[in-house]
Amino acid sequence: MSGRVKFAILAAVSVACANGAAAQQQKIGAPPESQNMKLVGYSDLQARSAYQPTIHRQGDRYIAYIGHHGGTDDIPMPLNPLTGNAEPNGTSIVDVTDPAHPKYLKHIPGQEGKYESGGAQMVRVCDGKSLPKGDPNAVYMLRAVGSQGHEIWNVADPANPVLVVKLGQGLKDTHKNFWECDTGIAYLVSGVPEWRTRRMTEVYDLSDPAHPQKIRDFGLPGQEPGSTGAVPTELHGPISLGPEGNRVYFGYGTDKGGFLQIVDRNKLLSGPKEPTPENLRYPEVARMPMSAFNGAHTVFPMKGMPIAEFAKDKDGQARDIVMIVDEAILNECAEPRQMVWFADVTTETRPMVISSWTVPEASGNFCERGGRFGAHSSNESMAPVFYKKMAFIAFFNAGVRALDIRDPYHPKEVGYFIPSITEKTDKRCVPVEGKDRCKVAIQTNNLETDDRGYIYIVDRANTGMHILEMTGPARAVAGLK
Amino acid sequence: MWRWLVIAVGVLTLSALSGVGAYQLVRPAIERGHAGGTPGKWQEIAWTFPRDGWPAGRAFRCASCGGGGVELYVRPKIGFCNCDKGVADDDEVDRVADLDLISARFAPSEAGKAVHVAGLAGRSRFYNLKMQDGAQHAAIGIALSHRCDLLVAVAQGNATPSELQHEALEYLASGEMHRWMLASLGGR
Repeated sequence: MSGRVKFAILAAVSVACANGAAAQQQKIGAPPESQNMKLVGYSDLQARSAYQPTIHRQGDRYIAYIGHHGGTDDIPMPLNPLTGNAEPNGTSIVDVTDPAHPKYLKHIPGQEGKYESGGAQMVRVCDGKSLPKGDPNAVYMLRAVGSQGHEIWNVADPANPVLVVKLGQGLKDTHKNFWECDTGIAYLVSGVPEWRTRRMTEVYDLSDPAHPQKIRDFGLPGQEPGSTGAVPTELHGPISLGPEGNRVYFGYGTDKGGFLQIVDRNKLLSGPKEPTPENLRYPEVARMPMSAFNGAHTVFPMKGMPIAEFAKDKDGQARDIVMIVDEAILNECAEPRQMVWFADVTTETRPMVISSWTVPEASGNFCERGGRFGAHSSNESMAPVFYKKMAFIAFFNAGVRALDIRDPYHPKEVGYFIPSITEKTDKRCVPVEGKDRCKVAIQTNNLETDDRGYIYIVDRANTGMHILEMTGPARAVAGLK
Repeated sequence: MWRWLVIAVGVLTLSALSGVGAYQLVRPAIERGHAGGTPGKWQEIAWTFPRDGWPAGRAFRCASCGGGGVELYVRPKIGFCNCDKGVADDDEVDRVADLDLISARFAPSEAGKAVHVAGLAGRSRFYNLKMQDGAQHAAIGIALSHRCDLLVAVAQGNATPSELQHEALEYLASGEMHRWMLASLGGR
């Protein structure tokens, strides 16, 4: 073998080994990666970093409201082509009635600031006619504005929203709110300045959105004003089952030290409100600590799930399940794996994790692709089309993953979709020997489903919103034709 | 042919180890106790705390500091900081500064203040620690930010708060500790 040939082999082996994963990195123009999921439509969302999509049926129309994180170092205020102005990221409003041709209607600017320090990341929508004291002709959009406060807009004409009221201003932070559309009770994730945490709960009566009534502050003992000692992990977000279910499920933490907290809604709303440790414990039914390695971004309750395997058992054939989704926060796997957990809470005071699920890293060399790899959030729609049958998990650079959860003791993947990157997709960097080493990868951040069976996924790295549907055998899981 | 493959694998292995080596480069001097303002003043001791959400940090003891010695615990917390605001307030020092490793029962003794150590900005705050045996110790919690990351430290011992602060900040600002802190925060 000649010296030149040997050198060529050595170089090839070195390059192949050192950059083997590079072959897995996404390239502009490459097709999406998918199984049993298909792209139906797309909106670039003006290349704004997206957090929460909420899909709301307004008469005959379906409108997508998308909350955005703040801008980036490179583009703090992207251009809004509808106005011709550079605007701080806020809320995108998109008509998705025809999901193949989404129509961008409006951008409401948010708080100036980059990444999580700006924007208007969270959004929920309720019809005025469903709220006890709402204007029946109004459609109300509740949004968190940056870190500072919350706002309610009338979006009955989604192309021309009108500000109704601002509330909870001067906060340390905001995050993933929840709003009961039939009662108006809202659980606002806020950082009330006197509290020792950036994120706790302000409970409001927003049954008349124009006249918000604060009910109380709530959090974990140790977070309240004036307390001392260790401070429990901050709140991520709650989901309420309303007066009928009489439970609110709170998820605390992101990628560390999480809790699932189950709260008696009646006691929360009508119990003593002074934030003392005793009063904060009063409505708590149970608190399940998670590993120090995992937090709870989304805690999604699914009560009374019939478990086929238990069908012949004399007791316990149906179980109350909470799906817990962690949030990965570090790029390129610099933390313990963040994933999906299923907890059986049938005996509420003794919740127990019964299963977990993650994307196999080797299936896409995801730790090498760039950006975050791991779970972040799930759909929260309880529309019958998917509820208690399928769950969709945002998994950052592994896209969206569709799980068959009919047996939550043994969840299994039935489809996935990893969108293509575009020229707008933002880079994600890690420090290497004192310098940034950056890669570009999809960062599927959050998602939602609608009652027609469409799945809306949005990208944290500015790639936009992809509207998807299930294909092939996976449709049968949801009973879709 | 095989010889070349072995060489190639060797080269790659050495390359991979070089990063680790760079990170470890600063440790020997510290372990010899030459990192502080006074050579031999601080000795590295075992990190004895149980595993939690962050990897273990480093622990040091200065027998001659204060009236009865001071212990200092330092570690990075990667991705645990507001990228823009840094360490915003005293509550954040309460939350992040690892005081609960020593005792979950701690109370601030006064308002914190802004500090700059080794090019990193943050806050420090004095605390009273109630130990399990009923004893009380003074402690200082320090939280420094770098982009979206934190470097946290807690010092405690039989010393006055001002002695604790002086000794801890002086040691953290020393050359070897400075280099280790920056390396642990990604080398920047």
